[in-house]
Amino acid sequence: MTLPGPLSLIAEITHRCPLHCVYCSNLLEMQARQIELPTETWAQVFASASELGVMQLHLTGGEPLAREDLTELVSAGRKAGLYINLITSGIGLAPDRLEALVHAGLDHIQLSFQDSQENAANEIAGTRAHAHKIALARLIKRHPVAFTMNLVVHRQNLERLEAMIALAEELETDRLEIAHVQYYGWAMRNRDTLLPTRDQWERSLAIITAARERLKGRMRVDFVAPDYYAKYPKACMGGWGRGVILIDPAGRALPCHAAGSILGLEFDNVGARTLRWIWEESAAFQKFRGEDWMPEPCRSCDRRALDFGGCRCQALALTGDATATDPVCTLSPAHTLVEAVIERVNAIPLPPTHPGWIYRIDPPNA
Amino acid sequence: MSGLTGASQPKLRPGCRLSESAQQGDVVLIPEGVLRLVGPGRKIVERCDGQRTVDDIVRELTAEFPSVQPERIAAEVTTFIERLHEKRVLDF
Repeated sequence: MTLPGPLSLIAEITHRCPLHCVYCSNLLEMQARQIELPTETWAQVFASASELGVMQLHLTGGEPLAREDLTELVSAGRKAGLYINLITSGIGLAPDRLEALVHAGLDHIQLSFQDSQENAANEIAGTRAHAHKIALARLIKRHPVAFTMNLVVHRQNLERLEAMIALAEELETDRLEIAHVQYYGWAMRNRDTLLPTRDQWERSLAIITAARERLKGRMRVDFVAPDYYAKYPKACMGGWGRGVILIDPAGRALPCHAAGSILGLEFDNVGARTLRWIWEESAAFQKFRGEDWMPEPCRSCDRRALDFGGCRCQALALTGDATATDPVCTLSPAHTLVEAVIERVNAIPLPPTHPGWIYRIDPPNA
Repeated sequence: MSGLTGASQPKLRPGCRLSESAQQGDVVLIPEGVLRLVGPGRKIVERCDGQRTVDDIVRELTAEFPSVQPERIAAEVTTFIERLHEKRVLDF
């Protein structure tokens, strides 16, 4: 049987970003502007991806608007036959530039929001961005493009979840994506101030379930649950090397956002290898593909074809071993690590006294 | 209740479009996703142009598939359009 190709290409076209979110999902070591792939190379990558079976292109970063050639990249993606999603903070999106992006074939804009309340949103982002995002959302609605509002939720803003959903309604969002913070990348540094209490988590689930029912046919509501409160792990990336390929700003191909944190894995570069070879043959993509790598209890578990053993990067972050069962799984021998964190954060009273955030800084310039 | 009637004129929403690939066959590309079209799916979606009514679509498909009962075609078209409306893919 031949290996099915990926359906999605995540193109991290830059790591530059005007925001400094306390839960940034990018790797701790970000890449400098000088080593970013040029326009033509990205265009070749999009064409190769389409041949390999990719239909969805996710232009992300960092902040993709930091690339001056973004409109050309959108054109190149459409020319390759791809559906173009732009995942953005909106910073740097002036009316004429939005017009040009839509004209170039942009299909969908996913705009991130940090909160419904301006001060709180700006505190999380480490910059004054909220008011601009509101104005931009209204402008986006005047264009023939799908509009998703992305909201990252956590201990500090969950009390306003209903207000955030109301904001999405007011802005006539087509799709609302509410995602609990996950703890790899920068968020791990702020875990104790971000992880919700069990009560907060359960209330958020009830609010979202009710909103989804109420808004049926008007707004699609997607939801990402916090791993730490799950019974079983999520099928991270839909399984390693199964449906998604990610290219970082310098052209390295990775199976997920955080795979670079796994020491000992070498990631081939699109400058040196074809995308097909990387997908089918490279060591990194084969490392956790299928079931041969699985330890017990995954190896004999009925759920192994549902969740693929969970998230490799989370296993690494919590146990130091990327080949371990994801410890958020209640069947994992290391689940006590997660229970200990849950117990600790549930003992911290709400609301917190001024959290001491650790902000991330810009990527290097040299 | 979606409010769909025979006179409704369904059309694809912004950011939703028909496509096809060697691996997936006929699909509708939507934000962050791919809906595979099976059976008469493509024939229905390509007629959802904001001009044709649901009755028009049923009439055309009845002419194309004379061996299938018109009531069955009408029911299938209605269910399909309502399902895609719920997924925010079709508007009417």
